[in-house]
Amino acid sequence: MASIRDLTEYVIQADIEKVKETTAALLAAGEDPLRLINEGLIPGINEVGERFKEGIMFVPEMMMSAQAMKAGVDLAKEKIEGVDIPTVGTVVIGTVAGDLHDIGKNLVSMMLDSSGFNVVDLGVDVPADKFVAAVKEHKASIVGLSALLTTTMPAMKEVIDALKESNLRDQVKVVIGGAPVTQAYADEIGADGYAPDAAIAVELCKKIA
Amino acid sequence: MEYASKHGDGIAFRTLTLQQLKDIHSASCRILDEVGVVVHHDEAVDLLKKGGAYIDSNGRTHIPEALIKRALHSAPSRITLYNRLGEPVIWMEKSNVHFGAGSDTLVYLDPFTGERRDWTTEEVAAAIRVVDALPQLDFVMSMGLLSDVDKRMINRIQYALMLKNSVKPQVVIAEDAPTVADITEMAAAAVGGREKLKNMPHFVLYCEPTSPLQLPFESVDKLLYAAENKIPVNFACGAVEGASTPVTVAGTVAQANAEALCGLVLHQLKNPGAPFLYGFGGSPLDMRTMVACYAVPEVLLLQGCVCDLSRFYSLPSWGYAGCSSSKDFDEQAITEATMFTVMGALQGCNLMHDVFYIESGRTGSLELLVLMDEVISRARHILKGVNTTPEYLAVEAVKRVGPGGNYMGDAHTAKHFREKWQPSLSDFSSYSSWEAAGSKSMRERIRERLRSIMEEHKPVPLAPEVEEKIDAVIKQAEDRLGIKL
Repeated sequence: MASIRDLTEYVIQADIEKVKETTAALLAAGEDPLRLINEGLIPGINEVGERFKEGIMFVPEMMMSAQAMKAGVDLAKEKIEGVDIPTVGTVVIGTVAGDLHDIGKNLVSMMLDSSGFNVVDLGVDVPADKFVAAVKEHKASIVGLSALLTTTMPAMKEVIDALKESNLRDQVKVVIGGAPVTQAYADEIGADGYAPDAAIAVELCKKIA
Repeated sequence: MEYASKHGDGIAFRTLTLQQLKDIHSASCRILDEVGVVVHHDEAVDLLKKGGAYIDSNGRTHIPEALIKRALHSAPSRITLYNRLGEPVIWMEKSNVHFGAGSDTLVYLDPFTGERRDWTTEEVAAAIRVVDALPQLDFVMSMGLLSDVDKRMINRIQYALMLKNSVKPQVVIAEDAPTVADITEMAAAAVGGREKLKNMPHFVLYCEPTSPLQLPFESVDKLLYAAENKIPVNFACGAVEGASTPVTVAGTVAQANAEALCGLVLHQLKNPGAPFLYGFGGSPLDMRTMVACYAVPEVLLLQGCVCDLSRFYSLPSWGYAGCSSSKDFDEQAITEATMFTVMGALQGCNLMHDVFYIESGRTGSLELLVLMDEVISRARHILKGVNTTPEYLAVEAVKRVGPGGNYMGDAHTAKHFREKWQPSLSDFSSYSSWEAAGSKSMRERIRERLRSIMEEHKPVPLAPEVEEKIDAVIKQAEDRLGIKL
């Protein structure tokens, strides 16, 4: 019979099937679902995070591990209907109006998700009012804006203005990113932070969440 | 297939076999047929539909191979580009190689102080004049993003700067079709009218899909405008391997080729026979740092695939050279930029851009540009190959000099020694002469050359009435966009 410790190892190995199998077996044997999550699955992704920092594991491996952890968490959650699973914070993220580029945004989105954030990804070409509505609906604490084109960068400011108009600006931190975006531009439009890459974006969100 | 060397079968660098080329073509056709693309442009969807494409219930456009064959048949296999004076200077076909700078870097690395800062209009103008002066650089691009003008005017003002500061042809980035229309207007003023420009193109337009497999409105709009006006145009994805394209070289080539062919199909449906430039590039995601890297070995292999495919399709080729992912003009920059330049030359890429890029395109280094001018000259000399005619086999000279003689005093030496490659920067003097001349490092010599170009080089000026016309186009665009100065 596999143990909770095996679950941790399977998350590190990103073996989705083994995680599912073991989680199901432990649950069937009467194991506490919250204990499975907190002592089996999450230590796995934490270890992956450590190995990533040390340069032993890379992002694709981290993402596969996150998927494996999720598969286990989903099974465990079925047994604890109604109990809130704590998250680090809620982030509303999207590529601003007029821009279809989403590789960088998706990467940030996936890495935030893997780091325990509740991520609401609005996709691409997102108008300012949609960001505002999502912040209200999901009670987000962070708004992430992405743009790859110099011509769509001004749309980032429009989102900040719209948040101000809706009296939401004080409730959320706005972080921006994208190839042509700079710290100077973040300062210029009054964003709370700028991240030059996905790993820094996650660090930044953890810091300000 | 034809390769670079001018002599015999000579020097050739082949990346793919004929079977591999067919396998890639087949994979790309399967992608366009089975996966399809998303086209954000109504006229384009209509053109594709009428041409025989299938639009599924999710709005994806599936392109059958027959459409691709037709497009490959009607597209020209060669394009000539003319300089501002109307002289043909770039011949994109076979394995001819041409080099040029890059566009829109964010940071200017001051070659004299080492300071990193935003580009100003004056610095971009000066950088374009440097490209104009360097003999091995064949075309200009916009160098840097202007930090001191209204964002909506950047591409137009960059183009005016290119026309005013160089006679060389350009490769142009534009945010949308109206910007291309203004650029076309300025080019027509410079070369002597729209009709002349249409038949003797002075610039190439750079368009790109948004990978994976999306055709955004602006790109398609520009592509169709270019087709209509016979402006040479590419549809070149900048693959980020492992993110926007598959992580493998072959997978990236299969998808990027599908995207380029999709652009070609649309382009040829709009105006059969209009000039199209085939190619794409890549910057694989470093999975440790999440930074997209330029000039790594996989990218050089990818460019080998592009060049072999372009000859397989009989289309002119577009690619990269002389660029680096290094943060400074340092040993890494020189290693990567030199490898890319030499490989690109051997691969026979018709139009290679981004010479002077460091930090994977975020920063521009004029020092690297000047050094690459000499590297290109070395590479071009290699491409000449080896002449093995009797005069060059020199048996008669060997007879004359005989055992124990010296070729220094022979007529054959006097006749041919000037054909040897000569450096513009490298130093071949003895240690003592080098020391006596100040022990100048390559870097110091590069800066001296840059300084003298910046102080002395005067590009062939535009006629005053042409300058007025160009300024009027800029002024009208500002009025149209409601920009107050």
